Amino acid sequence: MTLAEGTQLVSFGVLTLTTIVAALGVVLLENIVYSAFLLGGVFISIAGMYLLLNADFVAAAQILVYVGAVNVLILFAIMLVNKREPLAPLKNAWVRQGLTALVCLGLFALLGTVAITTSWNVLPEAPVVGDTALRLGEHFFSDFLLPFELASVLLLIAMIGAIVLARREFIPDARTGDGDPNLIFRLPERPRDPVAPEPLEPISK
Amino acid sequence: MLKFLKQVGDYAKESFQAAKYIGQGLSVTFDHMRRRPVTVQYPYEKIIPSERYRGRIHFEFDKCIACEVCVRVCPINLPVVDWEFNKAQKKKQLNHYSIDFGVCIFCGNCVEYCPTNCLSMTEEYELSAYDRHELNYDNVALGRLPEKVTLDPMVTPLREFAYLPKGVMEPHDLPKGAQRAGKRPEDILEDLKQDKAAAAPVSDDKA
Amino acid sequence: MESGIDLQSSAIQLLVDLGLPSALAKVLWLPLPMALMLVVATVGVLIAVWLERKISAAVQQRYGPEYAGPLGVLQPVADGLKLLFKEDIVPDRADPWLFTIGPAIVVIPVFLSYLIVPFGQNLVVTDLGIGAFLWISLSSVTPIGLLMSGYSSNNKYALIGGLRAAAQSISYEIPLALSVLAIVMMSNSLSTIDIVNQQADHGILGWNIWRQPVGFIIFWISALAETERLPFDLPEAEEELVAGYQTEYTGMKFALFYLGSYVNLILSALLFSVFYLGGWSFPIPVNTLAAWIGVSPDVAWVQVITAAIGITMVLVKTYALVFLAILLRWTTPRVRIDQLLNLGWKFLLPVSLANLLITAGLKLAFPVAFGG
Ligand code: SF4
Ligand code: SF4
Repeated sequence: MTLAEGTQLVSFGVLTLTTIVAALGVVLLENIVYSAFLLGGVFISIAGMYLLLNADFVAAAQILVYVGAVNVLILFAIMLVNKREPLAPLKNAWVRQGLTALVCLGLFALLGTVAITTSWNVLPEAPVVGDTALRLGEHFFSDFLLPFELASVLLLIAMIGAIVLARREFIPDARTGDGDPNLIFRLPERPRDPVAPEPLEPISK
Repeated sequence: MLKFLKQVGDYAKESFQAAKYIGQGLSVTFDHMRRRPVTVQYPYEKIIPSERYRGRIHFEFDKCIACEVCVRVCPINLPVVDWEFNKAQKKKQLNHYSIDFGVCIFCGNCVEYCPTNCLSMTEEYELSAYDRHELNYDNVALGRLPEKVTLDPMVTPLREFAYLPKGVMEPHDLPKGAQRAGKRPEDILEDLKQDKAAAAPVSDDKA
Repeated sequence: MESGIDLQSSAIQLLVDLGLPSALAKVLWLPLPMALMLVVATVGVLIAVWLERKISAAVQQRYGPEYAGPLGVLQPVADGLKLLFKEDIVPDRADPWLFTIGPAIVVIPVFLSYLIVPFGQNLVVTDLGIGAFLWISLSSVTPIGLLMSGYSSNNKYALIGGLRAAAQSISYEIPLALSVLAIVMMSNSLSTIDIVNQQADHGILGWNIWRQPVGFIIFWISALAETERLPFDLPEAEEELVAGYQTEYTGMKFALFYLGSYVNLILSALLFSVFYLGGWSFPIPVNTLAAWIGVSPDVAWVQVITAAIGITMVLVKTYALVFLAILLRWTTPRVRIDQLLNLGWKFLLPVSLANLLITAGLKLAFPVAFGG
């Protein structure tokens, strides 16, 4: 075993371990913020896996998109909606947890059998691709054109949707004259109770 | 379409204007870099306080007649005058006197109204302490003479802006004997005397 | 392309000649450039801190640090030592784990990005094929650390500062990436070495700054925002947020933030000089100069001089940019958060997209000037 192979093996072991432990942490920890940060850890170790497979561009893209964008967005959502609610302990929580565990284990077993029974077309040696970005570009514009374009259309739709949502007027123009003094501004998905000034009671003894 | 183009044009114009203003600002800051600093390097150099500087108050115990005028004129009734009536002498006798410089606003009212001139303002301004109660000066502390900046061998005294010769901005490295702009009080007195002398002959004749 | 001196192969050759197996020689060589880069980055920070203090003082007609060493050059060292010996306080209600990891996550990606900074043809830790992209993806990790330290401090100022920092670096990453993309498009490569070589042909006239007059402004604005320099320093706006996400930090952890921000500033300036100012190339190509004097550029001493000039050029350009950043700090007032996001999303993003499109068009139309 040469030095390079040894390093690879050790890194693979470490990366696998961190991935699994962090993923378990995401699922099992009570504190949602910890889960979000650990998710970032999972993403980064997956990026390390890509690096081990000589896919440096994909690894960098994984970090940029998943860690830099998705995970930060999740964190943002958690921190902006920082509402501490005392969660009432569910009745018969163990039933639900057991069911979940059962489903997950079943899925795991299924995938595991598939992974083991399929005869994978394993190359004896990892092919050394010169410039990964170049090869990716070639594939995007030849045999993977349709998925690539579909994905971009999907992203475009999402972007337009986001713009439409963001540009919706929060406060309608309060026109002079016909303004209703009891007009309340609200969004349909966030109904607010009218906060009318309480009629002042005359102070009497 | 035209309207849109006009909007874009206006926006571009505004951006260029903003860039121009930032450029102007940069040139101002860049220009400031050539100016010499006029910093007074404090613990090693100190400005000489002006004649009417209102610093820490000096108090002369023996002159005080415990009349409490200072307390009455103080905006916050700050001076503490602790006296006793001495029956034998039929006089108020001062036991203690103190002013808390953590509270004093250095308005100088007490100094102004003290009938026996036992209060005076000094040029001392270094009143830092680790505990605010250390700023409550009793009559002993109040009676200490201020340290003069000009007499401290560790300190280079520097003149204040108004005491510099005409056209000079920098207090460092003044030529020896350089006088401040305008007349000094002695000169004014001298001039007054001369004016009087010039006007004198007329009155002398009459007399 | 001239190869310049290749330290790596000569050093390994030397070790092999000394009787070591070549694998071991490579292993021995491996940590050297990294350690050197760490030292360079740290010393660069010390210089930048000193410059910041001196130039700020000059702009405000003060003296700045004076007594620590000649002209106060040892002041940053003194600062660092002070921070090193300060008590390390973790607030009572803070989350000790996240509070400790946060600064590390902020600093590590910045130092990692130094992998791709070239000081010469072969004076780079690794010439990665994804060079510029690595920097962009690594700098996107930083907001996680900021959010982490902001959240774990259990302090409202820290939280707001962390959220602001994350929002800011997310929104300015996109124009930054787009303006880098325009450069990459012209040089047909993500590698920083190729980007410099593509500009090396005509001396100062070949630099990308002439080909990307809009791009470099966008890059500079976004880089200032990414490094939280003054017109965009609202994550740590003193007047409103105490010190933003750093509020609760002292000692070594605070020093990490401090170090990280200056390393980041220097990194941005370095990459700016690589992307737009021709990296290590002299305003007049060194080969032309050598031809004038009548010496071949392949002679050993010419190569050494070329390398020395290259390193000096990179440093001169970088510190000129740092100087500009410091001057801007005392010129421009801080923007509000809504102005910041408006500038990022409604001005820089469309302009950088248009810049990318125009660059692509020009590349098709004039492949000679814009890299066919
Ligand atoms: S006014 Fe003067 S004399 Fe009277 S109590 Fe105050 S200090 Fe003493
Ligand atoms: S200086 Fe003014 S505030 Fe201070 S003790 Fe005298 S009267 Fe009171």
